Amino acid sequence: MPEGGLAIQTRGLTKVFGRQTVVNGIDLSVPRGSVFGFLGPNGSGKTTSIRMLLGLASATSGEITVLGQQMPKRAGTVLPRVGALIEGPGFYPFLSGTANLRRLDSADRFARTSTRTARVGEALERVGLTHAAGKKVRAYSLGMKQRLGIANALLTPRDLIVLDEPTNGLDPQGTREVRNLVRSLTAEGTTVFVSSHLLAEIEQMCTHAAVMRAGNLVAQGSLDELRQAGQSRVRVLTPDPGPARRVLAELGLAVEVDADGRETHPLDGESVTAPLDAGNWVDGPIDAGTRTDRPLDPERIVAALVAAGVRVRGFAVERASLEDLFVALTGEGFDVAQ
Amino acid sequence: MSTVWKRWIPAAVAGVVVAGAAVAVPLSAGATSGLPEKSPQEVLALVAGSTVTAFSGTVEQTSDLGLPTLPSGTGSGSGSASTSGAASTSDASGSDGSAGTAAAASSALDLLTGTHTARVYVDGTTGSGNLRVQVLDRLAERDVIKQGDTLWLYDSGKQTAVHATPTATPDAVPTGPEQTATPQQLAEKFLEAAGSTTDVSVGGDVTVAGRSAYDLVLTPQSGSTLIGAVSIAVDSETGLPLRVEVTAAGASNPAFSSSFTSLDLSTPSADLFSFTPPAGTTVTEKAVEKPSAASGGATEPSHSESDAPKPVMTGSGWSSIVELPAGSESSALTSSPLLAQLTTPVSGGHLLSTTLLNVFVADDGRMFAGSVSAEALEAAAAQ
Amino acid sequence: MGSELAVLFRRRRTWVMLLALALIPVLVAVAVRISSAGSSGRGPAFIEQISQNGLFVALVALTICIPLFLPLTVGVVAGDTISGEANLGTLRYLLVSPVGRARLLLVKFVAAMAFCLAATVVIVLAGVLIGAALFPVGPVTLLSGDTIGSGEAALRALLIAGYVTVSLLGLTAIGLFISTLTDIPVGAMAATVVISIVSQVLDSLPQLSALHPWLFSHYWLDFADLLRQPIEWSSFGTNTLLQLAYLAVFGTLAYGRFASKDVLS
Repeated sequence: MPEGGLAIQTRGLTKVFGRQTVVNGIDLSVPRGSVFGFLGPNGSGKTTSIRMLLGLASATSGEITVLGQQMPKRAGTVLPRVGALIEGPGFYPFLSGTANLRRLDSADRFARTSTRTARVGEALERVGLTHAAGKKVRAYSLGMKQRLGIANALLTPRDLIVLDEPTNGLDPQGTREVRNLVRSLTAEGTTVFVSSHLLAEIEQMCTHAAVMRAGNLVAQGSLDELRQAGQSRVRVLTPDPGPARRVLAELGLAVEVDADGRETHPLDGESVTAPLDAGNWVDGPIDAGTRTDRPLDPERIVAALVAAGVRVRGFAVERASLEDLFVALTGEGFDVAQ
Repeated sequence: MSTVWKRWIPAAVAGVVVAGAAVAVPLSAGATSGLPEKSPQEVLALVAGSTVTAFSGTVEQTSDLGLPTLPSGTGSGSGSASTSGAASTSDASGSDGSAGTAAAASSALDLLTGTHTARVYVDGTTGSGNLRVQVLDRLAERDVIKQGDTLWLYDSGKQTAVHATPTATPDAVPTGPEQTATPQQLAEKFLEAAGSTTDVSVGGDVTVAGRSAYDLVLTPQSGSTLIGAVSIAVDSETGLPLRVEVTAAGASNPAFSSSFTSLDLSTPSADLFSFTPPAGTTVTEKAVEKPSAASGGATEPSHSESDAPKPVMTGSGWSSIVELPAGSESSALTSSPLLAQLTTPVSGGHLLSTTLLNVFVADDGRMFAGSVSAEALEAAAAQ
Repeated sequence: MGSELAVLFRRRRTWVMLLALALIPVLVAVAVRISSAGSSGRGPAFIEQISQNGLFVALVALTICIPLFLPLTVGVVAGDTISGEANLGTLRYLLVSPVGRARLLLVKFVAAMAFCLAATVVIVLAGVLIGAALFPVGPVTLLSGDTIGSGEAALRALLIAGYVTVSLLGLTAIGLFISTLTDIPVGAMAATVVISIVSQVLDSLPQLSALHPWLFSHYWLDFADLLRQPIEWSSFGTNTLLQLAYLAVFGTLAYGRFASKDVLS
């Protein structure tokens, strides 16, 4: 297994139910060691993709490689190294939390029987369920079941953990715990694949993300790459909006005339905004060695404005939030993608 | 997609194998092995020269006589229910007139409808011969055990046993399992009846109970009988009749068939023939004068020979008619609701009609039976 | 496998069903005891023998259970095998554990058969115990009228339990197959029970006699052949062959269906 390869790779993965194409030829590349957010509104094909990744559903066409091996052909050797929480927890309500974990652990032929009790206890402790270990799952709250589901994914050391909507039903504290858990897993070198329809969640814990819309993969990459895909813009706060616009236009920027962000400040005047092309200006840490002068570096814009006598009372480069991107990619509102 | 199809391959294979086995097994059972040709005389000689004195086997008897299925559940499969039901009414008194006869008739009719399986153990090597016949009913069993001169009839459904005294001959036993006769008995009977009235030929080789056999076919010359043909499968090795089939005139499938399904020529264990009635069984010591010729006459007219009102034979060969004078037996039969369901009223009496045999009970109580048309019986009654 | 049995037998429902089955011989025995051998009505063949020998309670109870109660409970267990896991959502976790689909089916089938055996043994045991408690126990009279001692009677009782368990192979395989068709366990259970009833109804129609030897329920009551002297083994053999044929057909059908199925529950 090459270090730093891909934990999950799909090529043209497609699933057709009847006449409906649920997943349409997606090419996922999940780097090892990453926390990969799989983002998309409800019904965009996330869970179906995950089922195919885990061999639960067969792909209509396309190829899947998980941890360097073909799926579902090599499921027997791949899946023991994969922990999963798929579309909510599933447990025997008439068994205790411990008994449920033992049952699922014993289904894994590679799991050592001798260490089972210890591993079950550890997994329960990691998700904070030790106090409820002996209770029947019937008496668990939704959040507790969710935690138990995560505990199941953690029963043995895994190379890849797939969490489908892990924070569903969790209170804010639980959500925070999941975040910490994911962080600690990454520290151990585990690749975590998290699906969610909540952007904030992904943004807070992921290093990489992919966005699904109506069965199509519309964006993929590291969070920074994704952010760059969006628009940055400069915002100038000035009592002299007219000259400011002129200066910006001279610099080649398309000043937004009726931008949403346009507002009047009683003291500082008006804000003038203009989109900043990624090609003109590169985000990220400024490295002295490779620095080259580009006409649209922010400091040059400010210098130009000041030189033109514009009273600059505020200046900012606003980077596009992922939310903007998400909305741009998947559409607004509640309509479930068709 | 190809992997998906592969998953169904085991199912397809299993289906084909099971279906194949289901078809092939009966086929191979019917397959013939080339036996040397034999004339009817030689086959008959083979039978006559049969030296088998001890064997055990399973006999399956199937009757399709055109009798209606009895609503009381007398048919096959639920025979135990009806016999245990009848037990409470009839058997306390044992030989009590009409009720007993009705029960006996129903028991006999039971044997004449549907399919019955019996196990037969014969050991003719000791004394006057040992015999045990077990009629295997569902959840019940009827047994005949003959050890030397001692004869027991046991019915597990009714929990009754009949002990025939040494003077009684087995032939005089009223009802019961012996009507599921062994092929040997039946073949002898038909061979006797053959004489000049019958065309005897040898059909193709057959396999019965896994043994290759000659098929002796008896075809009545008379056109007035209901019987179309009787075929007797004779074991090529031992001369033991293995199967008897009676086909009605104009029919293609046998109306009556009695056949070994398995046969073992070793001497059965001796303790099979010793019988002690189990505790809780009602034991009747039987005298000889109580045979029930009524329905026994259906297959074995000779049963009635020792009957008190002497029967009269008219006609000859296949077309003979047996006439039973009026007596308590026949009136009991006509008054029985069971028989009332089976018979159809005709002018001058009631008719019990089957594919092989007709029984006419005249209003005056006389009874006529024979393998002839109903008209012939009515004509005989009118004389 | 052990875990599968543990799940099955840690379930309260399993115990309730076994208890209900155990109750039947008890009810039979008590009823016969109260009516003090006066019952001369129709019923299972050897009900009258109970008052003479308590061991017959087990046989009568089996005769009563075979047409309905055993298929009912077996239908519940067999119909629940796959669809029950699917319904709970545990199926997907088992499969990604991972358990091979063929192995899961096999384990499920064996567990269901273990339940069949347990159910049969429970009936026989409860029958023997309650019979021994309420009635005299002595040498057992066979259908052939011969009498055997208690030791051999126990052996035959075990044989009968084995026969009945084997008889349920076919139904269990059918239940397993149906269970792979749906995610709704109640539907699979009901369908399995209905099929067993339909089979018995067909078996009782004389017009369909050509079909009878092929019905999986046809030889169910022929366990009585083990009560003959000598034992009639042919029904045991035929029955076993028939049940194995059903097992082969429906087992492979279940595999075909389950292995190619998308687990979406």
